[in-house]
Amino acid sequence: MNRYLSNKKAIALFLLPALLIYSVVIIYPVLQTVYRSFFNWDGLSTATWNGISNYRDLLEDPLLITSLRNGLIFALVLAVFQIGLGTVLALACADPRIKGRKLLKTSYFIPVVLSVTVVCQLWLAMYDPTNGLINRLFNLLHIPYQQNWLTSPTVSIIAIAFVNAWQFMGYQFSLLYAGVKSIPEQYMEAATIDGCSKWMAHRKVTIPLMKETYKFCLIVAITSGIGAFVQMLIMTSGGPGTSNYTLTYMIYRYAFMESNYGYACAVSVVLVSLSLLATVIINKTFDRNEA
Amino acid sequence: MKKLRAVLIQTPLWIYFVISVYPLVWMISYSLKNNDEIFVTNPFGFPTHFRIENYTAAWSQFNIPRYFMNSFIVSSISTLLIIVLALMFSFAIARMRWKFRESVRLYMTIGMFMPLQVIMIPLAILVRDFHLTNTYGALIVPYVAIGLPFSCLIFYGFMKSIPGELEESACMDGANIYRMFIQIIVPVVTPAIATVAIFQFLSNWNEFMLAYILISDEAMKTLPLGLLFFQGQYSTDWGGMGAVMTIASLPMVIIYLFFSEQVENAMTVGSAVKG
Repeated sequence: MNRYLSNKKAIALFLLPALLIYSVVIIYPVLQTVYRSFFNWDGLSTATWNGISNYRDLLEDPLLITSLRNGLIFALVLAVFQIGLGTVLALACADPRIKGRKLLKTSYFIPVVLSVTVVCQLWLAMYDPTNGLINRLFNLLHIPYQQNWLTSPTVSIIAIAFVNAWQFMGYQFSLLYAGVKSIPEQYMEAATIDGCSKWMAHRKVTIPLMKETYKFCLIVAITSGIGAFVQMLIMTSGGPGTSNYTLTYMIYRYAFMESNYGYACAVSVVLVSLSLLATVIINKTFDRNEA
Repeated sequence: MKKLRAVLIQTPLWIYFVISVYPLVWMISYSLKNNDEIFVTNPFGFPTHFRIENYTAAWSQFNIPRYFMNSFIVSSISTLLIIVLALMFSFAIARMRWKFRESVRLYMTIGMFMPLQVIMIPLAILVRDFHLTNTYGALIVPYVAIGLPFSCLIFYGFMKSIPGELEESACMDGANIYRMFIQIIVPVVTPAIATVAIFQFLSNWNEFMLAYILISDEAMKTLPLGLLFFQGQYSTDWGGMGAVMTIASLPMVIIYLFFSEQVENAMTVGSAVKG
């Protein structure tokens, strides 16, 4: 049996195709990005080594500040909307008195399976200042808050982040709902017998026990905020002006519009480092609370 | 009193139900209206009579069938390749006995934590250097590589739980390792294959960023990419735009409604693995 299962030829045959394509398409490009970030390179001609000067230029690039700020706002909108509201919905939906649970769950999830292009186009139409649903609705309700949603530099980043938050709410909701459901019912019963109200019991029992779920949801929200791109590209092309730039939008612009590949690689390295840093910090924070 | 509280709990759920679904209802309903009805006479309500002509115009005037076919070819070939490669890889890692399998498994896991943006630039150059630009290969190869880490982890988890007796009896019966893999292991992990298949098909079908960078030829565009084109073309004809978007969305929504359990399972399993 041992000889049977350590057939070297078979192992190589099973392993190599996946390993090869994964190494060539994922690992090698990651290393390339880091390496190329130290070069002055237009993607075609020979690259010239210029040490850390890409990174030094980056520190003085006003787009970096804009991008970091937007990434932060984006992440914040996702976290508050999806995790905050998602928690309320998940707790309410887990209540045994609720009817139509299947219908609710399914309809929350439908936007997740739509193409991001469709969702962006749909919201472009909804945000339209004269004919869009949002301004008309405010008009109908006599709320004097008409906006040029996508052309105002202050409002547009939040409006765009909301589109992403809306689309992927269903995803975070199903994670949170699965988290609530995984907690044994006796815990809740015990808490209510001890005189807790249902709401108190959720705050003291359910939510602390869902630590792992929250950790993951937060990592998803923060990293997708930092890396946001498609919504900006489709809805406002990074504008008005450059006010809706994000790190990925910077990479896209420097690499594919200005052929400044070395510099774009440096931005990629910053993006990856920030994503990993955020993941580590979230992990550490959650683990410390445990002790 | 009890009734009132039940109603109070229900309220946020149904409010969000409207927020989640109404934009889509609005999209479908304006796909059946003309501009006059959308803007002036009836902006919120259901269409008074169905203007199917928006759909026939959208279908015949633009490349929708082409985009559909491209998306279908790219998504199904990548999904199929992901499944075959990931099954083989996971089998070698989970069931066979050799020295470095734990390190190889970790090496594959790294890919799940890499933001796609970091490989964007070298990948574009790689695709160009291999002369894959504007071919199906430009998307299939990256999609396969990107799908592998997640799929391998799902299959690995499944295969680990298979009892060793199954293999032993196959070995006694004289089946060689390849036959055992195909006739014993693969059938046992069918539920995992279904999960991975649906999950990967959905994400390949909707992938936008890489397709946007790697494909410029009109004839090779996938659906999410092709839809961008309508933004300019249809800016004055909202009904037509709505029809295009509805046609593009329906297949995925229908697939989801049929397989909602599996789709949500795949998502939650993925989070358990990553977290």
